Amino acid sequence: MELLVLVWRNLTARLTRSAFTWLGIAVATASMVLFLSFGEGLRHALAAEMGNMGPQIRVVAQGTDAFSPPLPELPPEMLGQIEELAPKLGIKKVVPAVVMFRGGFDPASSFLFYGLPEGSDPRDFYPKAEVAAGRLDPHPDGAVVGSKKAELNHLTLGKPLRLSREVTIPVVGVMKPAGSMIDSFIFVPMKTLQKVLGTKNYGVFLLQLDPNVNVDEVAEKLEAAIPGIDAQSTNEALKFAERAMRIGDLIRFGISLVALVVGGLLVANTVMMSVYERTREFGVMRAIGARRRFIFSLVLSEALFLALTGGLAGVAAGVIGSAVINVYTNHAVGLALSAVTPRLALFSMAVALVLGLVAGLLPARNASRIPVTEALGRI
Amino acid sequence: MLRAEGLTKKYRQGEATITALDGFSYDFPPGATAIVGPSGSGKTTLLNLLAGFDRPSAGTVELAGVRIDELDEDDRATVRLKNAGFVFQSWNLLPTLSALENVAFPLLLAGVARGERNQRALDLLEKVGLAGRADHRPNQLSGGEQQRVAIARALALEPAVLFADEPTGNLDSAAGARVLDLLLEHASGQRRLVLVTHDLQVAARAERILHLRDGKLIRIEEG
Repeated sequence: MELLVLVWRNLTARLTRSAFTWLGIAVATASMVLFLSFGEGLRHALAAEMGNMGPQIRVVAQGTDAFSPPLPELPPEMLGQIEELAPKLGIKKVVPAVVMFRGGFDPASSFLFYGLPEGSDPRDFYPKAEVAAGRLDPHPDGAVVGSKKAELNHLTLGKPLRLSREVTIPVVGVMKPAGSMIDSFIFVPMKTLQKVLGTKNYGVFLLQLDPNVNVDEVAEKLEAAIPGIDAQSTNEALKFAERAMRIGDLIRFGISLVALVVGGLLVANTVMMSVYERTREFGVMRAIGARRRFIFSLVLSEALFLALTGGLAGVAAGVIGSAVINVYTNHAVGLALSAVTPRLALFSMAVALVLGLVAGLLPARNASRIPVTEALGRI
Repeated sequence: MLRAEGLTKKYRQGEATITALDGFSYDFPPGATAIVGPSGSGKTTLLNLLAGFDRPSAGTVELAGVRIDELDEDDRATVRLKNAGFVFQSWNLLPTLSALENVAFPLLLAGVARGERNQRALDLLEKVGLAGRADHRPNQLSGGEQQRVAIARALALEPAVLFADEPTGNLDSAAGARVLDLLLEHASGQRRLVLVTHDLQVAARAERILHLRDGKLIRIEEG
């Protein structure tokens, strides 16, 4: 009959109430784990993606939002300017491309088209790209579809793909799954896409560099030499994405904090009511010879026990929830977007414990300070 | 061992000051001492002060050679644990613990190891005739049985002084008689039993009776 046994007896004596409180903490912790798991998953996915990307620099028109497809705002003469600078700066290859986005929020109904120039195929974008059926080169008049896109929209060889009212092209290639964003892309000839968009401009220049040049330096020099462009290196993009993800983390943590505060209030309420109901019990303990610290520890341990076990269950539920989410995102976009890393699990447990501690302190203090005569009703 | 000197307790009630106990002095000899008096005579207040549940407004209390009126609550609790046992009229036991665990509770507070704790608790339950009910929770025991468990618990650390406040108040006469026998059995040798009651028949079993009225000790009756 150590302290833990007493804690267990007291909590199980009011089983329904304790169970609901426990469940509240578990749900709050699980929701925090799930919310934050997106940040962790995205970080992993992004790092893997950047490592696999072919071009080290992406040139877009200044002011292009990093999360939207670039608009065709780069004039044809700019390509000449960059190609002229290429030998001097250590640029091995310049691939102009046009990007078009069609559809909604759902991965199945959204389409991201990349228009590639003649002589270029998806390997300029993703060097490990391989074809599963048909060919990898969309030219002269076909579409090469990423594996996930093909699966979601049932795009098989020869199927027509309508880009606009006037332009429809057949699927000429389906790529093997790459576990990357390109699984959701559709590569088409650039001329076709320019026709659809009614432009001669480009949306983006993808630059491949010589192995020994400093990527960030090249990007800086390009920006200095050609006004109106934004040369984004992979490092820079990673840094920007990391900043954006931190903000995302904060927002998600803020949202999950609401759930956590509710969980904390549940613990506080349960422990407070239990203290109120057991005033006499504490009186008997004190009369027998229990010191204040004993009562304080007992009550605080109850709150901590609820928080610890509820938190553990919450983390476990979060891991399961994250796996379920990944089944969906893997199916939808070919990426595992949620990850419960050890640091996330530890952080969530720590938050749950701090919550239990804060929620238990006041009731524990109150319980340990009731005068013996008052607690025993002997006034 | 248990001595009070000029013990006084005053309460404020609004503007008025009420004297619940007024200059009580007595050196409790070994054996059973009953304290009797009508309601409001100060019996409960006196027991609260003697046991160190409360501090006097004036006067001193010495329990086991320690001036407990000078101690803070935690230190008084420690003196109680080592030197005093309690049996109240009702609501004595911790409801979530079994009879055995209730008896073992003071031993837990005193830091006695689990094995020894349980053995001693079982011996004590045997002594009060409840070894067969060791695993029962208080709500599975009759009122008389609960009081016997409370007595076993009060005796767990073999205290020098046993305080009992109306211990038979809620019991039928047979159960009451058995509880009283157990309490009196303890009050042998150098040990003391302080028995607060309004039942004169119960008080008559003690070796001496202190009569209280209006907070004052008015008469000592030697049995």
